[in-house]
Amino acid sequence: MSEDYVEEGKSTYSPIILAAGIALLLLGLVLFFPIAIAGIVVIGLGLYKFFREGASEKFAGLKESLEERWPLETLNKEKLGVWIFLVSEILIFGSLIVAYAYVRLSSDSWPVASQTHDVLLGMSNTIILLTSSLAMIYALYSIRAGNAKGLKTGLVGAFVLGAAFLVIKLGYEWPTYYRNGFTISSGLPGSTYFVLTGLHAVHVGAGLVAVGYLIFRAYSGGFTSTKHSAVENIGLYWHFVDIVWMFLFPLFYLI
Amino acid sequence: MYVGIWLGLVVATVAEVLTRSLAGAASLLALIILLISSGKAIVIAMYYQHLRYEDWHLAILPIAAVVGVVFLAVAAVLSMGMGM
Repeated sequence: MSEDYVEEGKSTYSPIILAAGIALLLLGLVLFFPIAIAGIVVIGLGLYKFFREGASEKFAGLKESLEERWPLETLNKEKLGVWIFLVSEILIFGSLIVAYAYVRLSSDSWPVASQTHDVLLGMSNTIILLTSSLAMIYALYSIRAGNAKGLKTGLVGAFVLGAAFLVIKLGYEWPTYYRNGFTISSGLPGSTYFVLTGLHAVHVGAGLVAVGYLIFRAYSGGFTSTKHSAVENIGLYWHFVDIVWMFLFPLFYLI
Repeated sequence: MYVGIWLGLVVATVAEVLTRSLAGAASLLALIILLISSGKAIVIAMYYQHLRYEDWHLAILPIAAVVGVVFLAVAAVLSMGMGM
């Protein structure tokens, strides 16, 4: 390979397919539900193509000039992509949290957190998410050391704990609030709570799909001590979901 | 090391819950709780997301996003002060 060329990942249409699927999903939710189902199918195809290509061989691409590649030239491009995605997530959740703080501070009265929310349940869910992050770290360090069994244990642990978080949140906590009359229609306290924790739950769900994919690949022998970037990159997302909850828990349950 | 960090995060979570029941001005307690939460978030980003061990250029991305959110928060506070 000449010094003008550099090893790069294969270019892909997957992000365009994913974006089209998300657009169909959102359009369908507003206009006509079957369109949303078509969107989910397109998203599934995009993800399948994306992850399938992730395992494909590298090819040689033209090296960018210095002014184009500085200061991120030394970074792994996949990891850089994940972090750019996480930046968009920080802005989404950050904007919503600021909006929540704004309406709460502007309101004359707001229900006391302990009267509407179960603090112990919220704390339990926080510890569950923290533990799932630890399990993901265990999975990553296991495969780095070539320990495939540890990888599977860590991934399954992270998946089970993430699922437990969702079961407690959507299967017990939300129905209890609804029975007690605290719903998304309960003014600003209700709408802000259900929108923010709902969006977070959607992210946990997406994380579960991604971790499920990692488990499938782990059991198929798809990772080695030198080839495991998907574990690291999906782990970054998983920990981010954890970080968001570190703010939602005190804002809704404690303050 | 990571088990120790996890333990610290769990202890900090319990501390947040206990802080809530302390006597004192509600705004001061809220500030303490949010400081603990921010500390937990930073620890997760530094250690679990490995920002501490990465090329420092990578940290520019999340820091820039957080600065953007802080600007938004400042704008919100200012708009409240102006009665908007």
